[in-house]
Amino acid sequence: MMTPRLFKQLGRLGLAALTLASASLLADDTSPQAREHWHQAIEQRYGALNDASERLEASAERFCNNASDAHRQRLTRDWMEAWQAWQAVRFVDFGPIEQNSRAWQMQFWPDRKNLVGRKMQSWLAREEAPTAEQIAEDSVASQGFPALEYLLFDDSMQGTDALAQPIACGLMSAITTHLADTAGALQRDWQRFGDHYRGTQSYTTATLHGALLALETLETKRLGEPMGLTGGSANGYLAEAWRSERSVRLIEASLRGLEDTFLPGLRTLLNARGKPELAAEFGAGLDRARQGAAEMAAGVAPALDDRDRFRALQGLYVQVGQLRHQLETIGRELGMVRGFNSSDGD
Amino acid sequence: MQRRTLLKNGLLGLGAMSLPSLSWGLPGREDAEWLFSAADDAEGRHYIQAFAPGRKQAYRIAVSERCHGGCLRPDSAQAVLFARRPGRSLHVIDGDARAEIRRIDAGDGFHFYGHGVFDADGHHLYVTANRIDDAAGLVRVYDARADYRHLADMPLDGIGPHELRLMPDGQTLAVALGGIRTHPDYGRAKLNLDDMEPALLLMDRRDGEILARHRPSHHQLSCRHLDVGTDGTVVAGYQYQGPEWERRPLIARLSADGDFSEIALPDDLTAELRQYTASIALSRRSPLALVTAPRGHRVLVLDSRHGELLASHDLSDAAGARCDGQGGFLVSSGRGGLYRLGGDGSAPQQIHDLPIRWDNHLT
Repeated sequence: MMTPRLFKQLGRLGLAALTLASASLLADDTSPQAREHWHQAIEQRYGALNDASERLEASAERFCNNASDAHRQRLTRDWMEAWQAWQAVRFVDFGPIEQNSRAWQMQFWPDRKNLVGRKMQSWLAREEAPTAEQIAEDSVASQGFPALEYLLFDDSMQGTDALAQPIACGLMSAITTHLADTAGALQRDWQRFGDHYRGTQSYTTATLHGALLALETLETKRLGEPMGLTGGSANGYLAEAWRSERSVRLIEASLRGLEDTFLPGLRTLLNARGKPELAAEFGAGLDRARQGAAEMAAGVAPALDDRDRFRALQGLYVQVGQLRHQLETIGRELGMVRGFNSSDGD
Repeated sequence: MQRRTLLKNGLLGLGAMSLPSLSWGLPGREDAEWLFSAADDAEGRHYIQAFAPGRKQAYRIAVSERCHGGCLRPDSAQAVLFARRPGRSLHVIDGDARAEIRRIDAGDGFHFYGHGVFDADGHHLYVTANRIDDAAGLVRVYDARADYRHLADMPLDGIGPHELRLMPDGQTLAVALGGIRTHPDYGRAKLNLDDMEPALLLMDRRDGEILARHRPSHHQLSCRHLDVGTDGTVVAGYQYQGPEWERRPLIARLSADGDFSEIALPDDLTAELRQYTASIALSRRSPLALVTAPRGHRVLVLDSRHGELLASHDLSDAAGARCDGQGGFLVSSGRGGLYRLGGDGSAPQQIHDLPIRWDNHLT
C-alpha cells in the first residue's frame, strides 16, 4: 500500500538515485577527449564524402554533355571514390545519419528482391527523366550508390551508349544530385551535432558500439553470407557491389575508415586506461587486414568459383573476425555494455 | 481492496465519478506465476523463454524467428508471443505442456508488429498488423476459442500500430500508433520520416470505432509502447525519430478522464535516454509507472497520476517490464539478468540470471 508519507520518501529516494545515475559507464576524464577526437575525424570523413559526392555529380553532368570514353572512366572512378568515402564513415550509425534514413539512402543493401534493378528499370521505361526532387521522394532503392551501379554496370546497360541516352543520363544526374544534397546535409548536421555529441557521455559507448557493429556486419553480412560461411549456401548476389564486382574495394575502404577515423579516439581511451598495447594490437590488425584487402581481387562473387581467390577471401574473413573479437575485448576493458535491446530494439 | 484503500487515502486524486467499473480487473499479468519473453542465445538462435520467479524454474521453446511482445490468455495457461516486425507469425504457447501448440500466420499481404492483447475472458485476441499493400495499420481480431480463426480487421486510419492494451472497461483498446511506414522488402528501413502521423488511440474493440486520437507534440515522436493502470490511466512511451540533439518528451500520459499530456524529464536525463523508451508497466496496486530505456541503460519510476519522476536507476540494457504481483516490478536485461524493483522505488535487485539475451518485453 502506498501512503502519502511513503510517496514523499520515494521522492527523496528518487533524487538520490538520480544523483547516483550520473556516475556510470566510461565516466573517466578521457572520455570527452576521445569524443573530441572522434567528432573531428568523423567531420573530416563526412567532408570527404560531401566533396566526393559533388565530384561525382559534376562528373555525371560532364559525361552527359559529352559521353566520351574518358568521361565514362572518370565517372566510374568518381562513383567508386564517393562510395568508398561513404564506406569509410559507415561505422557511424548514430546522429545525423539516422535522420530520414540517410544510411539507407546512401546504400540500400542487402537487396534480396532486386528492388534496385526493378526501380531503375521502371525509371528508365518512362518518357522523361526524373528530377532530383523526384528521386528524393522515391524509394531508398532509387537513391544511392547501388542505383548508380546499376546504371553503370548492369548487363542491360552494356549496349552501345546505353547510359548516354537522355533518360538514363537524366536519371543518373538526378541520383547524383540527390546524393550530393544528402552528403552536404549530413556534413552540416554533423557540425551542428557537435556540442551534443561531445557533451553526452553515452556517445562514447555509441561510437565504440558503431565500430563493433561495423566489424560484425563486415564479417557476417558482407563476407560470411555471400561466401556461404554462415550456414546458408554461397550466393554472390548477396555481396555488396556485385554488379561491378568491387565488393572488396568497399571493404578495404571501411577498414581504412576504422583505422584513421575510429582508432585515434580509441587510442586516447586506452592510453588513459594504461592499455596502449590493446590499441596498438587492434591498429596493427586493422592495418594488416586493410593491406590484405587492397592486394586482393576486387569482387566477392567471382571468388566463389576460384579456389585461390576464395582462400584469400577466407583469410580476410578470419582477420575481420579477429578484429571483431579484439574490439569486443577492448569494449569489456572499457566497461562498454553490449546492449541487445539498446542496439536493436523496436 | 487495494483500490479502495488507495481511494480512501485520496491518492488517486480522481473524482469517483470518473472511475471505471471496479468489477473488472486487468487480467493475468499481475499474478501470473510464469513470465514469458522473446530471447536470443549467445549464438543468435531465437527462443521463447519462460521463467517462474517464485520457483526459479525456466524452460524455453525454440522458434524460427525473433519474437517481440506477448500476452497471457486470461483463465488459461496459454501465452501468445508475436513475431518481431516485420514477422508474420504468432506463437501460442501452452504453459502446462510447455510447448508451442499453434502457430498462426498473418496471411498473405500482412505482417504483425509484435504485440497483441486478449479481451477479458480470453475469447478474442487483438493483434496489431500491417496490410503491406497500402501500409494500413490494423487491429486483426482472432477467435481463440476457434483455433485462433481470423475474424475481422479493424483499420486504425494510420500507419505502424505497435503495442495495444485493454482498458479497464473491458471494451476499449488503447493502441500506440508509431506512424512509421516500413515495407518487408525494405527490411527495417523507415520510409516516411518526413510525414509521420503517430498517435495514441482509443478504439472500441467491438466495432473498431476510433474513440479518441491523441497526437504527440511532434510528428516524429513515434508512440510505441504503453500500459494501462487499474484506474484507466494510460502511460505511453515514445521513440523520437528526429535529430538526436533535440530534446523532446519521451513519455505521454492519458488520464482516466481523457486528458492527454506529455511528461518532460530533466534535460540531462532526456539526453541520456537517446530518444528511446522500450517497455512500460503500470502497477496494479499503486500509482507507479515503470519505463525502461535500454539505450540509456536506465529504468525510470514515475508517479502515474501526475507524471513526476520518482527514481531513475542504472540498469544495463534494461528491456522488458512487468508487474511482479507484489506491488513491485520485474525488469529484464539484454545481458541476461532478471531484476525486481520494489514498490518503494528502490534500485533493481537481480533475482536471476540466464545465459540469454532477454528481448524487449516481458509478458
